Amino acid sequence: MSIDLHSLMAPYALDALDADERSRFEAHLDQCVDCQVEMAGFMETAVRLGDAVSHTPPPALRDRLLAEISTTPQQHPIVSSLAERRTLRRVLPRLVMAAAFLVGAVGVGGFLVERDNAQTEHDQNVAISRVIGAEDVATKAKTFDTGGTVKMYSSAAADSAVIIAKDLPRPGDGKVYQVWMIDQAGPTSQGTFETGGQMIMKGVSGADRVAVTVEPAGGSKQPTSAPIATIAV
Amino acid sequence: MSASAAQLKLVTAPEHDAAPDLNDLLVKVGRGDEHAFAQVYDALGASVFGLARRVIRDPARAEEVAQEVFIQVWQSAARFDPARGTAKSWCLTLAHRRAVDAVRHDQAATNRENKYDWSSGPDFDEVEETVTITLEHEQVKRCLDGLTELQREAVTLAYYQGYTYAEVATALDANTATIKTRMRDGIVRLRDCMGVSA
Repeated sequence: MSIDLHSLMAPYALDALDADERSRFEAHLDQCVDCQVEMAGFMETAVRLGDAVSHTPPPALRDRLLAEISTTPQQHPIVSSLAERRTLRRVLPRLVMAAAFLVGAVGVGGFLVERDNAQTEHDQNVAISRVIGAEDVATKAKTFDTGGTVKMYSSAAADSAVIIAKDLPRPGDGKVYQVWMIDQAGPTSQGTFETGGQMIMKGVSGADRVAVTVEPAGGSKQPTSAPIATIAV
Repeated sequence: MSASAAQLKLVTAPEHDAAPDLNDLLVKVGRGDEHAFAQVYDALGASVFGLARRVIRDPARAEEVAQEVFIQVWQSAARFDPARGTAKSWCLTLAHRRAVDAVRHDQAATNRENKYDWSSGPDFDEVEETVTITLEHEQVKRCLDGLTELQREAVTLAYYQGYTYAEVATALDANTATIKTRMRDGIVRLRDCMGVSA
């Protein structure tokens, strides 16, 4: 790995990363359980620093806020039920879970079902970190008006691309988002997700683009709807 | 006697009694409880505004950012999970991120307007100046005093002034690898000094 993402733990906890490094580090943190445990202590330490400079706000702020929230809609929980999560975890052992602490803080959440011929989860996590940390990494992002982003990190040197989806609106009852890699031979399914998750694709040099469609639960063999997003590889 | 002893305990250790309530309140906020929101604001308004003011400096801008933070708290409270941290940590983490983003955004705009106006450098004294005197804050001050100068500067420039580690490296004329290491050493030492579980 050309960038030691682990060395960014403390700068991340202090919010001392620029936007690009921050999102790359978060992608690493999502799949590094040891990092998450240590990060919780770092974040709590940073919170103590923050709490040491408290200052009484102007009274008008409270009135403005109470007026504003009464007309401000709220987001729904990212994961609708714990039961659903447990079921998926049992059925799909290679599920990639998001960074625990950050689910609340910055809205990282959800999971993506790996494609069938994937390696073990550990190998996949190492591979994801390698792509995100690659020297020649190129980042493309698609932000949806309805909320959520799909980001792609690709590395020609690693002949791989990582897709990270976050906070997309629920695709509807009995529906999932499905990721496709499209080359001359047509689309190949890469996996499905509900509101977010991450995955790695290898052998992307021949691919034209990556597309995301909404499909019936379980996914389709071929796309059955127009893509909600396409990203050129 | 037992009544006054109980009262004394409550005064000296409000954190332990108040913390679970705040978590419950934030969960209620996630379900659209406006009264719970007002209570969360009353408990954390000074922490959030103070942090925004510390990082941003301009009180009017800090007030705007504090307002944005609490609107975000209202909007996304359903995503708060008390099993993963306290309501206070959740809100202050969100507040710091937002304050840092605001100060960098404003700074970038200023830099575009006046490319040659380099800041005269960080004012290290201000951190201690604005730290108010309470038991908890005394601890933070004492723990910061326990760091080496480079550790303290690296941590405070980043956290209280919104510098990236690369900017800290430039300001302190050190290389970035050194700064990352000092930040790590500093935060580990602070964590242990403050008794945060590792």
